[in-house]
Amino acid sequence: MSKGGQSRTRLLLVILIVTSLFLVTLDLRGVKLLDNLKQGMHNVVSPFQRTANSALSPVKGFFSDISLLGRSGSQIEKLEKENAALKLELLERQDADVQIDQLKSILDLAGTAGYKIVNAKVISQGSYQSFAQTVTIGSGSNSGIAQNMTVLSEYGIAGIVKEVYPNSALIQLASDPAFRIGVRIVNSQQIGFLTGRGERSAVLQLLDNSTDINVGDILMSRGSIANRPFVPGVPVGYITTVDNSAGTIAQSATVRYYTDFSKLSVLAVVVGGPSTNPGDALVPQKPRPIPTPTVTVFVTPTPTPSN
Amino acid sequence: MSTRQIGISSLIFLAIYVVQESIISQFRLPGGGFSILIIFVLSWAIMSERDIAAVIGFSGGLLMDLSQNTSGPFGQWTLIMLLAGYGISYLGYGDDNFFGGALGVVFSIVLGNLLIELLFLISAPLLGVSIGSFGQIISTLFGTSVWTLFLTPIVLPIFARLYKTIFQAGSLA
Repeated sequence: MSKGGQSRTRLLLVILIVTSLFLVTLDLRGVKLLDNLKQGMHNVVSPFQRTANSALSPVKGFFSDISLLGRSGSQIEKLEKENAALKLELLERQDADVQIDQLKSILDLAGTAGYKIVNAKVISQGSYQSFAQTVTIGSGSNSGIAQNMTVLSEYGIAGIVKEVYPNSALIQLASDPAFRIGVRIVNSQQIGFLTGRGERSAVLQLLDNSTDINVGDILMSRGSIANRPFVPGVPVGYITTVDNSAGTIAQSATVRYYTDFSKLSVLAVVVGGPSTNPGDALVPQKPRPIPTPTVTVFVTPTPTPSN
Repeated sequence: MSTRQIGISSLIFLAIYVVQESIISQFRLPGGGFSILIIFVLSWAIMSERDIAAVIGFSGGLLMDLSQNTSGPFGQWTLIMLLAGYGISYLGYGDDNFFGGALGVVFSIVLGNLLIELLFLISAPLLGVSIGSFGQIISTLFGTSVWTLFLTPIVLPIFARLYKTIFQAGSLA
């Protein structure tokens, strides 16, 4: 490359770097220069996402199922016996059934607490390149969804609405590292806040260091002002480990969310909070052991015939 | 670069972006999956001169910043991809280039992808972006590298052919 060419390349590189830094600075200072372009881009992509979601519905869980191959051997053996047409039909039916089950559970959850909800299908998973945990749902501002509304799954909290578009919305999942939620422990009523870690577990930090917390304690959401971003009384998760290190300023624990973020297909956005605080009405019930019937056999000895 | 080349390249960039956002994002891939846009940008940057590679990286990063799923400030991915595009072209340019053959190119793209992720991780705390637990980061870095290694040999010939058709430059296919 000639000397002139090298100078031109360097000048171009400097201009592009300065432009990038300029964009970063503007964004950090709150100037949303390219927000309209971002929204326009989303409006272009959104119909493709819907179409792809419908078209790929029977096969999109294929790769995650592969990772569970060892655990689903018997199920695979069963499926192998069926012909190709039935397989496809079954997959479509299973997908619909899962969605119906999730929807039913969400409606039960919302109905008990008196939340007004809007249901929506998950039409796209977020990218892991940015280490963020997001999904896109197929309903937006046209359905009454607005920014900073609580999003529920069938088991409890799923996240909040981060961005809204006319016919879709971006949901920040509770597992996102930037996600924060105020919680209270059901039994002790202690309050703290929970931070996502990019996976199904999260970190709880209590505000009061003198309280005892125990493994298995259940966490519910504390409400926000005007129920945004969080409505009160939503099940969040349960404590799996407690960190009792001496000298820590705040007591902390690891929490496992009730929601399985890898299996979200239907979500509900709470568009209207409850008129009264539901309190502990949504605390998940512990599974009751089913009594095993025992059969008692009375044996009456046959009287020995006397000689 | 002629106006025709810029126009066709822009359409290809948009098509790859739509594929990434609408099709690949449907799959729950174990280990975090892959970005076809990053593989595409790195493939084209390797085949280009440094100034064009910088523009390719810049354009790819700008598209990534426009994605709704991106966390962090607007411009972060633009800067990272610009540096990655220029850097990979710098190493691949000339007769005594760093890569030496298609296999070298594949490994360079995997390494480039890993370095891009690391650059994001380094810049994220400086720009106030949360990045999650250590275990999750390691799992994502490993997962994306494996996926990129698996996918690059499949898509590289297609990207190289596209590049050759548009720019009529040397091909790696």
